[in-house]
Amino acid sequence: MREIAIVPRREFRVPVEAEKISPDVFAPLSIEEIERIEVWEGNRKVILSDLFDISGDDGPAKPEETLISLSGDFSKVKRVGENMTCGRIAADGDLGMHAGNGMVGGEIEIGGRAGDWLGREMRGGKIIVLGNAGDYVGAGYRGEACGMRGGEILIEGSAGDYLGEHLCGGKITVLGNSGDFPGIANRGGVIVIGGDAHLPGAEMASGSITVRGRARVLPSYQYQETVEIDGLSLKKFLGDMVDNGKGELYAASVENGGA
Amino acid sequence: MIIKGGFVYDPKNGVHGEEMDISIEGGKVVEESRDGDEIDARGMLVMPGGVDAHAHIAGAKVNSGRIMRPEDGRRGIEPRTKLLRPSTGYTVPNCYAIGYRYARLGYTCAFEAATPILESRHTHEELEEIPIVDKGALTLFGNNWEVLECVRDGDLDKLAAFVAWGLSASRGYGVKVVNPGGGEAWGFGGNVKGIDDPVPNFGVTPREIIRCLMRANEILGLPHSVHLHTNNLGKPGNYETTLETLKAVEDIAASCDRQVLHVTHMQFSAYGGTGWRDFESKAPEIADYYNRHGQFTMDMGQLIFGSATTMTADAPLEYGNARLLHAKWSNHDIELEESSGVVPLVYGRKMPINAIQWAIGLELALLTNDPWQLIMTTDHPNGGPFVNYPEVISLLMSRAKREEELATLHDLASKRSSLPSIEREMDWNDVAIVTRAAPARILGLAEKGHLGLGADGDVTIYDINPTDVDPSKDHRKVKAALAKARYTIKGGEVVSRDGEIVAVPQGRTYWVDASVPEDQAAKVRADLVEKFAKYYSIQMSNYMVQDAYVTHPRVVKAGVI
Repeated sequence: MREIAIVPRREFRVPVEAEKISPDVFAPLSIEEIERIEVWEGNRKVILSDLFDISGDDGPAKPEETLISLSGDFSKVKRVGENMTCGRIAADGDLGMHAGNGMVGGEIEIGGRAGDWLGREMRGGKIIVLGNAGDYVGAGYRGEACGMRGGEILIEGSAGDYLGEHLCGGKITVLGNSGDFPGIANRGGVIVIGGDAHLPGAEMASGSITVRGRARVLPSYQYQETVEIDGLSLKKFLGDMVDNGKGELYAASVENGGA
Repeated sequence: MIIKGGFVYDPKNGVHGEEMDISIEGGKVVEESRDGDEIDARGMLVMPGGVDAHAHIAGAKVNSGRIMRPEDGRRGIEPRTKLLRPSTGYTVPNCYAIGYRYARLGYTCAFEAATPILESRHTHEELEEIPIVDKGALTLFGNNWEVLECVRDGDLDKLAAFVAWGLSASRGYGVKVVNPGGGEAWGFGGNVKGIDDPVPNFGVTPREIIRCLMRANEILGLPHSVHLHTNNLGKPGNYETTLETLKAVEDIAASCDRQVLHVTHMQFSAYGGTGWRDFESKAPEIADYYNRHGQFTMDMGQLIFGSATTMTADAPLEYGNARLLHAKWSNHDIELEESSGVVPLVYGRKMPINAIQWAIGLELALLTNDPWQLIMTTDHPNGGPFVNYPEVISLLMSRAKREEELATLHDLASKRSSLPSIEREMDWNDVAIVTRAAPARILGLAEKGHLGLGADGDVTIYDINPTDVDPSKDHRKVKAALAKARYTIKGGEVVSRDGEIVAVPQGRTYWVDASVPEDQAAKVRADLVEKFAKYYSIQMSNYMVQDAYVTHPRVVKAGVI
């Protein structure tokens, strides 16, 4: 495995657009070539070595055998791992918005907090977040009909609002709570929330959402039956009836009595 | 500037691929130029600059499309440069991208196909921001209360005076009629079902609206004819409405040397079947009618597979689209004038209806014998974005390409249309007509679409040698060459070279100033004072398009006196 380590030289005051930080881009390049990759810091074009110390194994390798490790504060560094197809990115701290955009394969592990739009429109691969994640995890960007279509996202902490908006496939697991409207406009993806959720599945057409904690359920959901899943008794609903949806919503306990 | 030695196609002046020089000076084609600039066009194809007579490129509904489709804005992004503003979008590009992309294709003139008078300030604000190309806008009249009242009262002179006023108020170029009567009925949730279905509250029929507007158009002697989007557009079986409409106006004569009626995006009006299940092409019937009636013209409205944004003043049609496709929908009421709608959609190769629609556009173009009756369009962005014109031209020029494409489509495209049996392949002369000479003639733009003395110095040079490339076999070469003109010259200035924009002049905006007798104008003014006082949400002083909105006007005079 070729390992490349990246450490910020300073604290960033404005966002850095770093879609080039990806195993697919790095793999064929030497460390020196990687240092000269152009990125935008705010409205200024700079090269990677202006912003980061880059070290590690020199010389080309296959992308699937490339590991990029990020240490330090990357919370203002955006689009890391965009469209990556294989290989691995490991951040020991926070990682900025749009990490794993449209990713097709490979793995991203984030030790701290993930910014908004994590794994937006991803098609495959795996993202693991040990901390919390922001809003719009696995969502489609503004106006898109489809967000995540495949792959897997695991968030060990909690997620923000609009988790998995326009999900068209794949699986998102959140061990903690989620914010407002998880699984909005779901079209076939799977969401599992370990804790509580507020108004899950608005406009859901198909797919499933499981809330293993407490959920405030929309009145446009129809109660079906109580089922036993993984030793937990869950109330099953179908909806969203507003859109003639066939989505399945499971909740361990329902706020306000639900629908 | 002298353009030396290219194979020139200038159908209006009977030039069919002869090697000759074209001289431009002062922005016009001249006998001889002395400025010393020279472009070597030997071995290349030389044509007048392209003219797009029907595209939705500016105004409120185009902008609604942009607002509804932020995802479209992520496509086609090109950052700004020292010379260029940034480009965004595919089906609804920003203003700058529209100008740059037309120039790259070799087009130097494009007309916005529909602007309500009420929204015309917006339309001109956007037209002003479209660089390079000359442009104009057709003004909507088919559902305007003043029009419906004049039709009801049978007062043609007053109608003509209102049309003249409307063109001036909107700085518009011609009379656009969209689903006449249907847009007004939509204000009450209804539509008209055919040309003899009366419009609620007015009692007039689409037949009467179309006839009266055509006659008013000819009273004024406008450079362009009435530009009609038919009733029942987009519905199975609508070819009967289309033919009925054409038959209903056969007796009307044009007042000048041009067509008497232009039916736009005919592809959407040439459908057979009683519903979507037995949906089929009736293009041969339409083309056959056109072959017997030279006074009518049409544009294709060719469908392009992939993303499109439908936008039209035919609001009930868009409501139907949105319900059918569960798509995003925008609906707009334009007070006393029109309604409109916008629905994004995706045309799929394996979707039976889309595949048949695709075939219908090509059938219409290939079965209409006289290319002067035809304009190549995609009804941008309804059938697809205009950047796909090279694709359409290569389809028209190559049966082999059509067969290759048909093989990738739903098989109903072959079964429900006559396309597989059509052998015709357009030649370069036909292409120069349907993309240049015919649209200029149909719009009535005397200085466009040809390279005769006094014509605008708009020239396109494509890097393809018509003597050694067989478009039928080498359709890929044709498409590639047309997508990036070697040179696009606008008013004697090179604006695009090999796809790179090298100059960004401001184009002119055509509008028609038609004069009418003062007594008729006074009658119209009296009506309008009442309408603005009673119904409009704005004052008339905030309504008219002032000169400040049109900084580079090209005013065409017409009218009764």
